[in-house]
Amino acid sequence: MNWNAILPELFLSVGTLVVFFLELFLSRKHYKLLIFVAGLVPLLSILSLFLVQTPTQAFFGVLYTDTSSLIAKGLIYLITGLSLFASYDYFLKKSSEYGELAYLMLLASLGLSLLVSSANLALLFLSLELASITMYILIGTFKREYLSKEASYKYLVIGSVGTAMLAFGSAFYYGAVGSLTLRQYAQDNTLFLLGMFLILSALALKVSSVPFHFWTPDAYEGAPTPITAYISTAPKVALYFLLTKMAMLFSQIGGWMLLVILLSVLSMFYAGFIAYSQRSVKRLLAYSSVAHAGYFLLGIVVWDKLLNSAMLFYLSVYAFAVLGSFVILAVLEKRENFTHHFMDYKGLGRHDTLLAIFLSLFLFAMIGIPPMALFIGKLGMFAGLIKLGFLPLALLFLLASIISAGYYLKVIVYMFMEGSQRKWQKAEVSVGEAFVILVCAVFVLSLGLFPNALYDLILKGL
Amino acid sequence: MLSVAIFLPLLAGILILLVRREKFSKMLSLLTSGVVLLLVLSLFLGFDWSKAGFQYETKYTWIPTLGISYHVGVDGMAISLLLMTAIMFFASFIWSWKVEDRPNLYHALFLMLETACLGVFSALDFFLFYIFWEGMLIPMYFIIGLWGHERKVYAANKFFVYTFFGSLFLLLGIASLIAYAYINTGQISFDYAFHKNFSYPLWLQLLAFLLFGIGFAVKIPMWPVHTWLPDAHVEAPTAGSVILAAVLLKMGTYGFVRYSLPLFPEASKYYIPLIFILSLVAIVYAAMMAIAQTHIKRLIAYSSISHMGIVTLGTFASDINALNGAIYMMIAHGLSSATLFMSAGFIYDRIHSYHMDDLGGLARYLPKLAVVFMISGLAGIGFPGLAGFVAEFLVFLGTFKNFPLWAFIAGTGMILSAAYFLYMYKKVMFEEETISEYRLEKWKYLKDLELHHFVPFVLILACAFLLGIYPLPFVKIVEQTSRYILGG
Repeated sequence: MNWNAILPELFLSVGTLVVFFLELFLSRKHYKLLIFVAGLVPLLSILSLFLVQTPTQAFFGVLYTDTSSLIAKGLIYLITGLSLFASYDYFLKKSSEYGELAYLMLLASLGLSLLVSSANLALLFLSLELASITMYILIGTFKREYLSKEASYKYLVIGSVGTAMLAFGSAFYYGAVGSLTLRQYAQDNTLFLLGMFLILSALALKVSSVPFHFWTPDAYEGAPTPITAYISTAPKVALYFLLTKMAMLFSQIGGWMLLVILLSVLSMFYAGFIAYSQRSVKRLLAYSSVAHAGYFLLGIVVWDKLLNSAMLFYLSVYAFAVLGSFVILAVLEKRENFTHHFMDYKGLGRHDTLLAIFLSLFLFAMIGIPPMALFIGKLGMFAGLIKLGFLPLALLFLLASIISAGYYLKVIVYMFMEGSQRKWQKAEVSVGEAFVILVCAVFVLSLGLFPNALYDLILKGL
Repeated sequence: MLSVAIFLPLLAGILILLVRREKFSKMLSLLTSGVVLLLVLSLFLGFDWSKAGFQYETKYTWIPTLGISYHVGVDGMAISLLLMTAIMFFASFIWSWKVEDRPNLYHALFLMLETACLGVFSALDFFLFYIFWEGMLIPMYFIIGLWGHERKVYAANKFFVYTFFGSLFLLLGIASLIAYAYINTGQISFDYAFHKNFSYPLWLQLLAFLLFGIGFAVKIPMWPVHTWLPDAHVEAPTAGSVILAAVLLKMGTYGFVRYSLPLFPEASKYYIPLIFILSLVAIVYAAMMAIAQTHIKRLIAYSSISHMGIVTLGTFASDINALNGAIYMMIAHGLSSATLFMSAGFIYDRIHSYHMDDLGGLARYLPKLAVVFMISGLAGIGFPGLAGFVAEFLVFLGTFKNFPLWAFIAGTGMILSAAYFLYMYKKVMFEEETISEYRLEKWKYLKDLELHHFVPFVLILACAFLLGIYPLPFVKIVEQTSRYILGG
């Protein structure tokens, strides 16, 4: 038994248990402390990543860890830690300090972390379910609020369809291959194709790509905003790293390319247009996340080092931009009667200048303006697509990016170019939130100017 | 020294945002732009036009994995445009001495814009170039959107989306070159020199020329992607219009000369008919549109489109004189359009209207303005003795040699330009019969040009005279680039 391979997960599990017991015995007064400790757990688990020698495997090859899964794990842990730091003040202000939040989020991360190193469909299924079920609960954290319950229920129902598809697809896969291990399979077999189709659909549902996106806007809107920050970043990171791995194994089978292109083009354009009709910034960001699912899916059309590395880089920095913007939304939401409607954003640039500047930094980053790091991902993906001869796809990507620019600008216009009609009290930014926003901004900017550190790592992992 | 000049404004801009004192902002921006002007002027004077290639080059490895380096350097065209940019920003800061609305942010944004503009003209690495190219987008967006007139949000968004549309095509073009070079040499490189020595097959040239061309055409702007310009100009504050017309529009034509011509020589020949048709439509159609305007800023904006048509015509006429003229025209148009927009802005400051119907007989009340407005206009329409004349003469001389018919049609644009300018001048400065007694009574107390208006005017018009009366050294300097591109 090679314990080394599951060292990070072990570390995280022990931490989760500690937090679990702490939650039992600490009183509500110490809510802040509890969340803080919980936030430290994943950050400390990052250290354990350095002890893992790659590539390594455990449980008879069910679990396989290579450099790229380590990168994914590092990102997931970092995001989990940051979203926990950003959440305590929000829940205190909303006077719903549920301690469960702390270990649920850690459990979800544990699931995601297992997901990226699963080399077997059974483990893939289990880890994805561990993450998904905890996320259903997390979304429903505001149990007294209708929207939160509805979001949780909706995600549960639609997510279960995904679960069923994954299970069913795995069954077909087993029927065709005779094993649940993920590996290359050259034969053109209807059963196998059907299995892959279902598995891919299930994963597309989890990354909220059109036509499986229906849960996204509601779940994102209904969830408490710090939770939205988490569910819109960490699972995405895990799933795309997994999808890249799957692209390496299966992208040469017939139908993969067509299916991925279809999913991606639909997501880019559908979400791009629907986003314009949104009146709520939170929903708008949800649709932007669907559109980005389309961009990222372009990165797994085929397996190619240049294209995949660009996509993974894009994804990693995108996660920080999204995390940062949702944390800012959470800060704003702490105010009385704030609804995320555009009208509530009017004049934000005047009375909360710094928050507005950071939010527009993240939005400009998502548009893809240099020197923010997302632009390098875009450039890399352009180069990769052209190199592989997918010029039409690159052009579609370009068109979708232009369309997307308009709705991000809308938010910026409301923040800076319109005067506010209501008197808002000044937003209170807690230490945790300020820290997270700063870290995200620094990442987005510095990785744009000096992408070397991360880019080299991703290239090494592929 | 070049790098210092590029990044000094950015540092000053950040400092201004940190300190946030009105007086400090104004002093510091004036000082910074002055220092930059002196730096660029010293580079300009030290520039050796007899040597081929780039000068004052600096190169540092930046992102080795992607073959990106920090590489700046200038040739004859770049140094001239840099000097013009530095003059324009210096002049705009003097002009903006009395800005009252959020002065700190205003000056900080202008300083950031200056860094981006200087950077575009001196970058020799695609990645760096693109960062500067897009870096100008955000400051300009906020300058139009925050300090503009009634429909500022519409204009700012239109400006942003159009320009972003163009830039993404440019990005795709860059990516296609990188990808092609990567497939064939196994090496990713964003360096300009690397790609210049690389000969691309015709199909890629044709494709990349179009992708680059769309990016540049939006910025110039060429017909039919010009519609953002009149709106942006009408709504922008005066200093924003000045920078937009004098500097930002030149980025597109600069891109054509710097990238399209040397990188895609065959495609540039292939697309001559297309470019010529678009240029001619721009020259004639925009000039006719200008005649039909009653809004003075919109009129000047259309005149800009018309003049930029002459630049694109000269750029692709495959003649050294025409190319010289095109580059000279970039400078000349920068000088004349800047002063025209300053005049229009001054009129708005005093009378609060841009509409010719509300104006008339101003020559009696604002005599100093009447003089500088006339000189600016004459510089714009290519009056002998001013910069525009030399430029237009060279462009037509060169174009006529190879394409006499095209040159002839383009020449009609010159007549139209005289028509619209004189028509505007008549409406604004003379014709007081149409103005009500009440207004004329009020206008008796109008204050003419103040010092902070007068200095920029004198500075820029002096340059226009210098370039018009003694063009030889300047033509020599821009010829350094033309020789390098056309090989002669």
